[in-house]
Parts: sequence; C-alpha cells; structure tokens
Amino acid sequence: MSETSFSINDLLRRKMQTSLVIISLALCVASTLFLLLFAQKMGFGISSVVEGKLTAGFSLVFSPFITLLVILISAAGIVMISFTAFIMTSQRTRDIGLMKAAGCPNNLLFGYFFTELLIVSLVGCFVGTILGILLDMASTSLLNGLGLQFSQQPASPWMPIAVFVSFFALCLILGGTPVLSAIRAEPARAFSPAHYLGLGKEPGFKVVSKSGISLRIAVRTLVRHKSATIRIVLCLSIVFLLVTVAVAGGLIAEDTTGSWVEKAVGRNTLLIAHQDMVNQYKLLLSEFYEGQKAIQFNYTDERYLIPSSLSSQLRSLNGTMGVDARLVLEEPVKEVPGIIYGSSTEQTTSVGDSRQGESLVVGVDPGNVLNDWSLNGRFLAENQSAEAVVGDSLAGKLFSSPLNQKIRISNEDLSVVGVCLDPINNGNVTYVPITTLQTVTGVSGPNVLMVKLDSSANETDVLKKISSIVANAGFQVFPLDEAVDKSVGFLNFIWSTIMFLPLFSLITASLSLLGYVMLTIDEQRQEFGILRALGAKPKTVLAIVSAQSLIVLLGSYAVGIAFGIITTLLILVQEPLVTTYTVIEIAAWLLLALAVTFASSVYPAIRFAKKPLLETMTQS
Amino acid sequence: MKEIMTVVSASSLGKIYEANGVKVEVLKDIDFDVKRGEFTIIDGPSGSGKTTLLNIVGSIDKPTSGKIIVFGEDLRARDEDFLASFRCNNIGFVFQSYNLVSTLTVAENIAFPMEWARKNEDHIRGRVDELLGLVDLQHRAEHFPFQLSGGEQQRVAFARALANDPPLLLVDEPTGNLDVKTSSKIIQILSTLKEDGKTIIVATHDEHISELAQQRLCLEDGMLMSENE
Repeated sequence: MSETSFSINDLLRRKMQTSLVIISLALCVASTLFLLLFAQKMGFGISSVVEGKLTAGFSLVFSPFITLLVILISAAGIVMISFTAFIMTSQRTRDIGLMKAAGCPNNLLFGYFFTELLIVSLVGCFVGTILGILLDMASTSLLNGLGLQFSQQPASPWMPIAVFVSFFALCLILGGTPVLSAIRAEPARAFSPAHYLGLGKEPGFKVVSKSGISLRIAVRTLVRHKSATIRIVLCLSIVFLLVTVAVAGGLIAEDTTGSWVEKAVGRNTLLIAHQDMVNQYKLLLSEFYEGQKAIQFNYTDERYLIPSSLSSQLRSLNGTMGVDARLVLEEPVKEVPGIIYGSSTEQTTSVGDSRQGESLVVGVDPGNVLNDWSLNGRFLAENQSAEAVVGDSLAGKLFSSPLNQKIRISNEDLSVVGVCLDPINNGNVTYVPITTLQTVTGVSGPNVLMVKLDSSANETDVLKKISSIVANAGFQVFPLDEAVDKSVGFLNFIWSTIMFLPLFSLITASLSLLGYVMLTIDEQRQEFGILRALGAKPKTVLAIVSAQSLIVLLGSYAVGIAFGIITTLLILVQEPLVTTYTVIEIAAWLLLALAVTFASSVYPAIRFAKKPLLETMTQS
Repeated sequence: MKEIMTVVSASSLGKIYEANGVKVEVLKDIDFDVKRGEFTIIDGPSGSGKTTLLNIVGSIDKPTSGKIIVFGEDLRARDEDFLASFRCNNIGFVFQSYNLVSTLTVAENIAFPMEWARKNEDHIRGRVDELLGLVDLQHRAEHFPFQLSGGEQQRVAFARALANDPPLLLVDEPTGNLDVKTSSKIIQILSTLKEDGKTIIVATHDEHISELAQQRLCLEDGMLMSENE
C-alpha cells in the first residue's frame, strides 16, 4: 500500500481522532491569526484615532503595549501548536511500535505517519487560516457596528500567508519529531506507555483516601501523564500571561494615564482669565483629545493681564487652597548647542543641534504651583531663575537628551531640569519661572490664574463667591474638571478599544482549552470506561475530568498571572497607579477569565459522561 | 429479608447492534437463570454473543428486548448512577483484554474499586496484600501493567474483580490468550472461588474450566442452543 493511500485510509477510519486534531489545529491557527490581524488593525486604528492628538509620552504607553501583546499572541500560538502536534503524534507512537514489531521497514513507517501528519497539518492550518480571516472580518463588522472605525481589509495581506506557512512548518517539525523518535526507538519501548505518555510514578503505593476521591485521582492522572501535563500547563500559562498583560496592563495603564492628565491639568481647580483667554486655554487643552489646533492669539494683550489685587482677594477667600498666577505666551524655543561632561564616562560630549520649535511658554511661580506633573527630572526650584521644564512632545522634537541640555527663549538660556507629561498644547509646552519670562518679554503681569478649591468647603457657595468677584473685575471662571473629564474620557475610549484584545484572547484561550480537553478525554476514554465499569458514576468521571482541567487551569493561571503582573508593572507602565478599585477590577476580569475557560472545558466532559458505557470502553 | 436464590434471571433477552445502517442481531430470545453459588459457563464459537451476554448481565450494556434481573434488580429499567453503584458492590468483572488502567500500578489497579466503594485505607491495604497473595503477584505490586506478562495481567484483573468481594463474578475468556501453565493458575483461582461459594459466570471454550461448571449455556449465532445442568 502506498504511503498516501495508507495514510488517507487510516485517517478516515479514525474519524473521531482525525476530526479532533484538525479542529484543535484549526482553532489554534485561527485564534492566533485572528489576534494578530486584530491587534495590527487595532494598532492602525488607534494610530489613526490619536493622530495629531495625545502627547508623545502618552502615545509611548500604547505602542509597547500592543507590541508585547503581539509577541505574546505569537508565542501562545507556537506553544499551542506544539502541544497539539505532540498529542497528535504521541497518540500514534504505540501503533508505530506495533508496526515496527510486525516488521514494517522504518522508511515506509516514517512515510506512512509523516504523510498523515502532512495531510492533517495542511487541512488544519488551511481551515484555521480561513476561519481566522472570517473571525477578523466578523469582529471588525461587530466593532464598527458599535461605533468604532476599523478597516475591513486585513492590515497586512501577507499576515494570513505568513501565519499559514509558519504554523504548517511548525506542525511538521514539532509533530515529526515524536514520530521520528518512536521510529528510532526499539519496538517494545515505542509501544510502552512509559514512552508515549511520559509515564512517571511517585514512589510507594498510596491509597486514595475517601475524601476528595475525584480530585486525588485527577492529581494522580496528571502526575502520571507528566509530558502532556507539562506541555498544557506551559501552553495555558502563556495564554494567561497574555490575558493578564492585556487586562491588568490595560486597566493599570488606563488609570495611570488618566491620573497623569488629572495631575497635569488640575482636578478641583478653576481657571480665571479674560473670556478670550479662557477660550484659547480650552482650545489648547482640547488638542489632546480633539486634535484641534489653537488659533493665532495675542497673549500679550493688555486686557488679559490680571491685577494682583484679584489674586490677593481670591487667596484670602475661605474655600480656596491656593492661587497659582501664570503668564501664558507663545514663543519660539531654540535648542542650545553645548558640551556636557558625563560623570560615568568621564568624557565630554557635544550636544545640541540648534533645533527650533514654537512652544507655549508658561511662566509660573515655582513656590505656588498647584499642579503635580508626572516628571522625568524635577520641577523648577524656587530660587533658580534660569531653569525650564519642557513638555514631552517638545522634548522629543528638540532634544536627544533633554535633561543635559539648554533652551533659549528670547536670548535667555535656560537649563532643562525636567520633562513633564502635560496635555496642554499637546505637550508642546515649556514651564519657566514667571519672573524670568516677564523680564525677557516685558509683560508686566500674569494672564491666567489657577485657583484650587478646598474639597471640604461647600463648592457651590465658593464658586458663586469667586464668580461674583471675578465678574466684577471683568474676567471669567472656567472649571478645569470639564477638560480633565474630556481628556480622561478620550484615554478611556482608547483603552476600552484595546480591551477587546484580552476579551478575544480569552475566547481563544477557551477554545484552546476546549481542544485540549477533547484530546485528553479521547486519550483517556478507555481508562474512563474501565472506571465506569468498575463502579464509577458518570458524574464522578465528569468530576475527575473537571478536576483535571481545574488543576491544569489553576496551575497555569498562577504562573500566567504572576508573570503577567510582573511584566505589566516592570515593563509596560512606569510609575503605575494601582488603586484598590483597579485591583478589584483586575481580579474580577481574571476570575471571569478563569470561569469562562473552565466552563468551556467542562462541556466536552459532560458530553463524554453521557455516552453509553460500552462506547467509552471501546477505542474508536 | 428473604434471601434471593436466583442471582441472574434472563427472559426473552435480545440485542441488536446497528453499524453503518446494517442491523446485526447478536442475541436472540435468550432465557436462563443462575442460582446463588452456581458456576456457569457460556460456551460457543467466536462471534456467538458470549461477551455481549456477559456485558448485559454485568450491566455494562443494555438489552434491546427482554428482561434481565440480577439480584432482584431489573437492570434495563435502572439509570447509569444506580448501575454504577450496583456494579461496584455486586459484580466483579474480568475482561477478555484485561482492561487494566495503564497509568496505575498493579497495587493501585486492585485498590481502585475499593476506593470507589469508599473503604478505609487500612482495609484497602490489607485487602490488596491478601489479593496479591491469592494471585501470587506480591513481587509485582509496584509495576505498571505494561511491565507484566499476559498471564500476570490476567491475574491482576482477577484480583481487581475480587477487590470488593462481589457476590457475582463475570469472567470473559480468562485463558484465551494464555499458555497451559498460566491457564492452570487461572483455573486454580476459579476453583478456589467456586469452593468459596461465589456465583461465577465464565465465557470460555476451555474444557478444563468447563469441568468446573454446574451449568453450561451454549450459544450459537446469538441463540441459546442448549442449557445443561
């Protein structure tokens, strides 16, 4: 019989096992391809949504996040395919041993089983690729129906081909290895469970006690099937790592970036300025979430200057915690070339390229500043007049190493002491001491006041009093909470889009576990049949399979979550903000992940437990 | 409580299997009784329905028609949960292909039915030792089934079937694959069990086992040809 006809006949006669392996392979390829296509599309989608918006520092949080998810998705796909290929061929090593014992030549044997592997891998990977593309199209339509704007076309048309080719090759390599190893082994070894199950045993005869018998039997089975157990734990650990990074990373990053905005703009803070200035300030803040460019504006107009008497009046008012007087201008900012001394290298280096950019320049009194920016470096010192803190976008435009350099504003050189994350003017901002700015520009007073309200005071009363004082002086009040809410809302929108990725990862994890449970039940069906014949009830078999799934799940869950949290906190989000609410939210998501994957794994066990006893005892 | 003297009672028992749209009538209108402590053999050529009949008596399979009553229970009318407990407490089954759990050692395979019956640990350990002694396999306690010979696996299967001391023992072709020396060990075990008063039904062609029989059921093409007391 030729290799092909043997293989086709063999596969057709073992319909159930063949279908299970093809389904598992197809699910694995489909889920990986879908996640890769979706992540790529989401990356493009987010880039187009945030184009011209967000500051460089905020955008930097998203890109490594999506890159890491793509790496994890690929790794999970590779491990899953290796597991499926292992199960597929390890089921046949016994037959290989028997055929070897019957005198079948090794080359013919390899031909038979490698052709089977080739056929199954080709069909599984092809079906998976088509399914992956269809899933991507379906989910894109679904999300667009929810108001998002994702392209229907795959972000990269080569991606499905690349995934098909790499997974097909992986199947052949990973599945071919056990076949080759069984062919090289002595026949008796090849058909011994010690070889094809990796059967191991703990020393001594231990009686399984009366309590928790299903659990103890499940543990014993998992320990004995150590090769398969190690592989599935590894596989699911990566899947849970992916889910944890996506869920925990997403939620922590969402809260952290939200807090950056709150700290930079100011929560519970009022902006007091001339009506034109208020409108201009709103425009400057809206660049972060609407990408609307601020119009040409004469900041130095005399009408906008705020008299010191108004500041004093507001400072003395009950219900305010502080008044921060600022001079807001627009000025060209230049990079100053210079030579710096590196203490670690003990060498001098030339820095600076005379780059130039338009920047919003904000003069502040360092001792009265109300905001608390997320900073790299430090904020302006009270007694230093020649210092500056630049916004993250401006720092990216002008400097390669901002903290070692100087900027020039109107012929005044200022040392850059910090880089702040600030949504105003989309991060194109420079903070300098107000006295220095007044000196170099000749503007005599501030044009903006920030007033921090005492949260313990009656907000409505205080606001009413302030509005009345400010209106009498010819100025306007604008509560900055409105701008903070809009900025945070925009960040939340982006993160909630990203959160579809863990949701889909969870679904694919469930499908992978479903494939694993189907294969392992099939592998143990005769064993379960014997158990039932000896007096185990169907629900006991169900309990054993469920306990096996739960142990594997919990083991993988612990490893995945531990590494996921470490990866999130150490790599993804710098200075993460983790509140009790965030922890509860993450815990709820991860528990949901566990429940969904466990529930999906129980379904094949329920179906199996309902089968007639004689059917379970006979190998199909 | 009145002691039931008839352990197994089959009336008009029929079994039809359907494969690829083709119906195969494996058992046709079978009637027989087995009394307490009786040694019964089911004889007949391969494919005559011996294993199917044993499976039905052992509640592993259900008849398509007729009635099967074992220890006063109508097995056809009972659900899987009841039948599982029933098998665990009343029936010991020695399968033709041994059906040992490949991932459990000899001692664990024997202990297994007792674990299901929720026996305590000391009892299980004692009983495992006792049964290993009965089948002369104390030195193989820690081995896996694939490390044993066919005869040894068959003896483990016997020990496992006796673990819960079931009143009814069903044995399918116990010597079919064994050499003369090993077969005689199995026959010796059956003989000991008969002397102990166990109700035993054996499907076999082995003339040496037939010599132990008090009742002989001959099957041919699914029909009971003769019933000799």
